[in-house]
Amino acid sequence: MEALVHNLKLSWHSIKRAPLPYALTLLILSLGLGTFFSNATLYYWMNRDPIPEKSQTLFMVRMNSVPGDCTDCFEPPRVMSYMDMQKMSGSGITSAEAAMYSSNAYAKTVENQQATPSQVELRVTQRDFFKLFNVPFLHGETWPDNNARMEVVISKNTATKFFSRTDVVGQDMLIDDQLYKVIGVLDEWSMLPRLYDVNGSRSAEPTEDIYLPLETAYDLAIQSNTQNSFFDVDWDGDMATYPQMARTNFVNQLQFWVQLDSPEKVQQYQQYLKNLVQDEKAAGRHTRPEGNKLDNILNVQKALRATNDQLDAFALVASLFLLVCVVNASHLSLNRYMANQYEFSLRRALGASRWQLQSQIMADVLLSSVLAFVAALVFAQLGLWTINSLLPGTRALASWDWQMLSVMALFVVLISYLVTLYPALKTSFSPLNQQLKQ
Amino acid sequence: MIQINNLSKIFRTDLIETHALRQINLQVNEGEFAALTGPSGSGKSTLLNVLGTLESFDQGDYLLDGRSVKGLSDRELSALRNEKIGFIFQGFNLIKDFSLYDNIELPLRYRGFSSAERKRRVEQSLETVGLAARRDYHPSQLSGGQQQRVAIARAIAGEPRILLADEPTGNLDSLMARQVMELLEKINQQGCTILMVTHDPDQARRANRHIQIVDGQLNDSSMYEPLAAGA
Amino acid sequence: MSVFLIIKSLLRRKVVTALLLLQLAVTLGLVVNSLLLASAAKELVDQPTGLSLEQILTVWVKPTSKTLRLQPALTDLISRQLTAVRQIPGVEAADFVNQIPLRQGGSNWNIFERDRQDESNVDSVPYYYTSEQIFQVLGVQLITGRLLTQQDWGIDNILLTEKLAKQLFAEQNPIGKVTNNGTVVGVVSDFYSQRYASHPFYGQIVFGPLHRAEQGYQLIVRVAQGQSEAVRKQLTDVIRNAEPQMDIGTVLRMDENRDDVFRSEIGLATLLSVLSGLMLLVAMISAYSHAHFHALQMQKEVGIKRALGASKARVLLDVLSESWLTTAIGAGFGILVCYGLNISLAKVISIPAVPVWLPLLTMLLLLLCVTLATWYPARIATRISPATATKTL
Repeated sequence: MEALVHNLKLSWHSIKRAPLPYALTLLILSLGLGTFFSNATLYYWMNRDPIPEKSQTLFMVRMNSVPGDCTDCFEPPRVMSYMDMQKMSGSGITSAEAAMYSSNAYAKTVENQQATPSQVELRVTQRDFFKLFNVPFLHGETWPDNNARMEVVISKNTATKFFSRTDVVGQDMLIDDQLYKVIGVLDEWSMLPRLYDVNGSRSAEPTEDIYLPLETAYDLAIQSNTQNSFFDVDWDGDMATYPQMARTNFVNQLQFWVQLDSPEKVQQYQQYLKNLVQDEKAAGRHTRPEGNKLDNILNVQKALRATNDQLDAFALVASLFLLVCVVNASHLSLNRYMANQYEFSLRRALGASRWQLQSQIMADVLLSSVLAFVAALVFAQLGLWTINSLLPGTRALASWDWQMLSVMALFVVLISYLVTLYPALKTSFSPLNQQLKQ
Repeated sequence: MIQINNLSKIFRTDLIETHALRQINLQVNEGEFAALTGPSGSGKSTLLNVLGTLESFDQGDYLLDGRSVKGLSDRELSALRNEKIGFIFQGFNLIKDFSLYDNIELPLRYRGFSSAERKRRVEQSLETVGLAARRDYHPSQLSGGQQQRVAIARAIAGEPRILLADEPTGNLDSLMARQVMELLEKINQQGCTILMVTHDPDQARRANRHIQIVDGQLNDSSMYEPLAAGA
Repeated sequence: MSVFLIIKSLLRRKVVTALLLLQLAVTLGLVVNSLLLASAAKELVDQPTGLSLEQILTVWVKPTSKTLRLQPALTDLISRQLTAVRQIPGVEAADFVNQIPLRQGGSNWNIFERDRQDESNVDSVPYYYTSEQIFQVLGVQLITGRLLTQQDWGIDNILLTEKLAKQLFAEQNPIGKVTNNGTVVGVVSDFYSQRYASHPFYGQIVFGPLHRAEQGYQLIVRVAQGQSEAVRKQLTDVIRNAEPQMDIGTVLRMDENRDDVFRSEIGLATLLSVLSGLMLLVAMISAYSHAHFHALQMQKEVGIKRALGASKARVLLDVLSESWLTTAIGAGFGILVCYGLNISLAKVISIPAVPVWLPLLTMLLLLLCVTLATWYPARIATRISPATATKTL
């Protein structure tokens, strides 16, 4: 311990002797690290596993069932029709399954009818949604089945916002002028990236405010605000006929998620889909080539091409920038050590062992790491700020947790060591006599 | 060869003025081997630097080979140095990243010689100092005496009119010092004027003229008989 | 000093030189590609749109009450809003439209000539539900046929943009042709319609009421020259006064809509430009500190050279030419890096190929930066008194 303090003191003195070169080295290193960290932060949030305890069992299903003779259309649409969803449901293979889409509406409480309604984000879905994605309930519970009912589950924030408290099970709410009863309130919950709905590159958006039964939404003609594709639909726009029309045509807006607990189940479900397509084809439907997709939740961004390409490009560039900075810093630190070489040699001549010099170098690394880490965090924060203001849809991705911070700190130490390694070796292992002679 | 009249040099800091050289008059004739001695701080190095045009002076005049150096531009002074003066330093002052060959060639490049001419001269001067076989060595691979011989080769390669040597043997042991001195005498015999700063009375005695400097003033410069020439 | 000698002395410092070259090479590669992306983004943003960007304001609105979002209330609501908006001083024309040009996303139909579906089908063409003042608002010119009028309200008569008409009917007269979306009665000049449609300049215009406003709709306003800020200030209040139960988006000028559409590209280009600037800065710091660090070592060398007859100018040139040569060699490798990086980036985003002159220009830029950074330490080096420098310590 005392040796460490002594070594740190020596490091500090050698910095003080030539502060400008040291400051420049540190500046360059932390600029590179900062840029890299800011990008890595976004990259981490965009690509992490948001639900590691069961991500292996969650799959999104797609089927190439839309009409048309196109023989080289192998890629199924991103969203499916109500008819597809019905055929896929109830296979008995899944341990949970839910169809869903997003929408929005204006909501207010019954007590406060005169108030200006506030806009709320809706997730139109089915009973198993909460089970699929491990969504925690604070009060109440999900719907007993998938039938239409004027009942909603709301987020904790929504409860607080509209009722100023959380225990509001049994309360009524007006959503787009319709009266609903609250049957459940969720606990704090977020999913980043929001992999259950990445269509439209919205994976960085927050989870929704209100969860509404799918059948009810069809009855009330609540449509998806993400993607709503009509294939060969002949409809006059009369809203009274919408529920019937949307359930019996290729009005594609649903994403369908299933939980398959084992590889065997996955196999079985794939076979199930295959059989389904065969039956359909036999019935003269499903005219496009078979193109069933069962994408694991961790692959879904790639499958729907919802990755942020700009971020990827920037990642490439930021890594190269880090390389430049590291190379630069080690170049500068080599110069620094060379300048100190005489002193090093002198100390060795006075009897310091290589090990003692190495521990001096480690003290250097330690000191540099601490300074570089702090500076890098500042630059990273600046970087995130810049990126957030320049690239759309990255705002939710800019925070750090302790785990990330410790990984970053470790990384800084590693890089600082790398930067110092060659110069240090060169200084402490080059022949003694030659240096003293100069 | 060298003529200085009433030359003075003053070092000024904010507080004090130091008269490094006071009203010096000196004439060094062609072909002389002059030794300049004096205690530390007496101004002998300053005089040598002024003579070598490495430092300017404040009063008086200095004629090198009949030409006044007063008022010459940096470029003219540099050219003058390059053509007429060869330097030999106590610390050798070889460029350590260069091979012996490159070191000796450097002033010839400044002179603008063709590469064939440079090659001829470098080889000839390496021959003179007896290091022809090591032309591709780097200074760090040589002993001190050898390094000083390289420095001498560099100084004479341009066939200067005068060699200025600042304690050329100061860093060498006696054997090596003798070799270097013999080399300088040989060069002198070939017609090159030499002015050498030294603190070693034996060496001063080997020169054919002894100039003493004390407190920036020259003591009556007297001619020595070349006592130990060739010894 | 001769190139040969510089190279020789660089080779004696292999590791330092390798680090320096690597850094210069990567810097050049990154700067070139960033410049390339930035210029591509600028070109994208600056392309002609066929619209008077500064004179068009748009605002997205959506009734917060369900009944107002459906007919017949909707048509009445829109006409109340338009009447109010048209009375604002400085407003030359105003209309509703289901979606505005330039804005990303929106509703598209496919279109084909009835008799030649397979040959003529165009997959994705934005359609504009709107009414009479739209032409004045957009400032589009009639190319052939006639504009739509009140008589075409609710009838399947359509207008096409020029490029779309060319695509569908080539050299034939498009007037009177029957498509799946209606009969073509006219062709208007091209305007930037939707970025990810089959072609950004394809568009089809129909007159008729919106069925419903579940996704809201847009009010689009043509203002007199120089009046856009004055009108913008009042617009939201005027719309709210016409109908309080409205969710009203931000009033945007057309060029702001455009910048929004290209925001990712502009953002990345800006980001990379910032990074390029940083990289040049790092290169300068590196050159500066290199020279600075070597001051001691150089001092002696410079002193020796001065004693041997090198003039100050010559010494300065020596120091600079060393950094020029290093930069040039590094930049030479950098050209390889820049093509390599270009290929890697092209896998992720769309980036133009590297034109030959750009790396050369960047190399000059790099040389300039390095020269600037080396100048000061080099100048100091030449001022060193040779007498001191050659003295043994």
